[in-house]
Amino acid sequence: MFALTKANLKIMIRNRHTTFWALLFPLMLVTVFGIFRFDTADSASIAIYQETNTPTGTAITEAISELAFLEKPLSVENELTSITKIKNGELDYLLSIPSQFEQDQENVNMLTRLQLRVNPNNSEQNQLVEAAIHSVIAILLTPEPTRETSLSLEVENLEVFQPRYFDVVLLGLVGLGIMTNSIISIAVKISTYRSQSILKRLLVTPLPIWKYFASEIIAHLALALVQAIIILGVGILVFGARLSGDWIGLILVILLGSAVFLNIGFLMSAWANSPSAASGMGNAIALPMVFFAGTFFSTASLPWILPYIAEALPLTPMLSAMREISLENASIIEVWPQILTLSGWIVVTGLAAVKFFRFN
Amino acid sequence: MDDAIRVEGLTKQFGSFTAVDDVSFHVKSGEIFGILGPNGAGKTTTLEIIEGLQKASSGYISVLGLDVDQNPKTYKGRIGVQLQSSAYYDYLNLEEILDLLGSCYPNKLPATELLKQVGLSEQSHNKVKQLSGGQQQRFTVAASLVNNPDLVILDEPTTGLDPQSRRNVWDLINEMQNNGVTVVLTTHYMEEAESLCTRLAIMDRGKLIAVDTPQNMISRLENTYTLKLELTDPANEDQVLSLTESSTSIEQIAPTTYLLKVNKSPTSLDHILQTIVTTEMHLKHLEMNPVTLEDVFLSLTGNELRD
Repeated sequence: MFALTKANLKIMIRNRHTTFWALLFPLMLVTVFGIFRFDTADSASIAIYQETNTPTGTAITEAISELAFLEKPLSVENELTSITKIKNGELDYLLSIPSQFEQDQENVNMLTRLQLRVNPNNSEQNQLVEAAIHSVIAILLTPEPTRETSLSLEVENLEVFQPRYFDVVLLGLVGLGIMTNSIISIAVKISTYRSQSILKRLLVTPLPIWKYFASEIIAHLALALVQAIIILGVGILVFGARLSGDWIGLILVILLGSAVFLNIGFLMSAWANSPSAASGMGNAIALPMVFFAGTFFSTASLPWILPYIAEALPLTPMLSAMREISLENASIIEVWPQILTLSGWIVVTGLAAVKFFRFN
Repeated sequence: MDDAIRVEGLTKQFGSFTAVDDVSFHVKSGEIFGILGPNGAGKTTTLEIIEGLQKASSGYISVLGLDVDQNPKTYKGRIGVQLQSSAYYDYLNLEEILDLLGSCYPNKLPATELLKQVGLSEQSHNKVKQLSGGQQQRFTVAASLVNNPDLVILDEPTTGLDPQSRRNVWDLINEMQNNGVTVVLTTHYMEEAESLCTRLAIMDRGKLIAVDTPQNMISRLENTYTLKLELTDPANEDQVLSLTESSTSIEQIAPTTYLLKVNKSPTSLDHILQTIVTTEMHLKHLEMNPVTLEDVFLSLTGNELRD
């Protein structure tokens, strides 16, 4: 079996063409996401909280809504809820206008504080927003230049858990790469071997056939690991992704996911009549899964029963476990629901592959 | 000597189609046993059942004294198999493929030795697709010997080869026999069966029609010669009639050309030649051929050998 595994690895290394393209595809996407920086592409959202409604407060709100790079400000009643929203990454800024602000206007020389709470992750954008709010206030107050109002904007950086979009996508791309490569390469390989009678040739030997499959699986798991390391390496070293957490746990999840997709690949090869049909079938399974498992976009906003379907796909628990481990510092034990789902998928796809597999 | 293979009442059905129909034969140790028949005769199915790739619908098979259903692992370790048109791995070189196949068996021969045996030592680091057709076929023969087998089963080892390469493969097969290996092969080439095989089985449409040595098969036929007469002018009725009397059959294949089957009685040839002289036929060309397996096949099946 060791000899078989070694031969399989050799075949993969020599079949550079396929292996290279299988790796290049996710790497290209990593580059695209790294260069375009979708993190800052959105306009920022701001909420404005007024302790009591005052004309000046309303004037500030109106002035801010003129700012092109900010979404229309949201007037909120509850300061605490908005703070939580920032912490969850659902809101970028909260401007609090205290009730004494109005009186302070009358009261020259008194220090007035507006409070701006921000998500510290987008420092460039934050500087822009701070400057804009400063100038809004300055303009509002200029009609009465005699007044010497010292107005300060107190900025508070909140502790935010909000992984950068690039980091989220990078892990998604690792999943994508491993899934497509595992499904398609196994499906194509086995149907090629079948059409060339290589499987038959192995069957006429006394080798227990499970050893052959085990060697294929081991070799492909090793490949998946190398693939993950290369994609993550490029993401971290070239594009500065910030991943942390339990690397061993991450590897375990990657291997579990890869095993599911290898099983699916074996299953596809049973249904495909030719290598090219196997390739098409693999793509037809893999590509929709890329989108429905939330590789690039959250699937929470999908209509109808689609979010539930998305939840049931094997790529979904793999990605969510990888993200929890590497972005939220979850331990391998904390992601047990995903591990359980993946193990379930391994059993189901494994049994199906054994049942439907055919040698000729 | 023991039988290397015993096949008793083997039947294989695919749905309502009977691919192999109640076939029985024995292969003796040390012989080159050929299974001859057109495509679709059931040769490959028979071999695949013997190799353990397919299950028989009914019947009993033992290989090297082992019941194939009872001891699949043991007997598979002792037979060498060459499949029809096996392409092998694209990304491994010859030596690596042999090592890989060898690792599937409990006992394996060194790859370099096998390649030397089939004259491919210099190609040991090439890929299969870099080999010529004849070299590829020799390589598959080497691959069938990787476990130092007692019995080798070759499915159409020379199909599609040029005459020179075919002879090379024949030499390899004869060498196997000299080394004490029993060889079973299928072919649809008559001359191959005739010159290579110790004994032959003829199959057609799933049935076994005859098992014997090629020489016995030929001599069992009543006709031993085919005469081709080409005359200067078409023969008249009387001349044809007198030719018919002295041969077992006559067929006009061109306006002035006749094909005669002549039986093996000592005087029959003499008789025909005399007839030609006495009826004043003028010979332009005369050809005499001994009966071949093709004629045996024709007389047994009523079919031309279909490719």
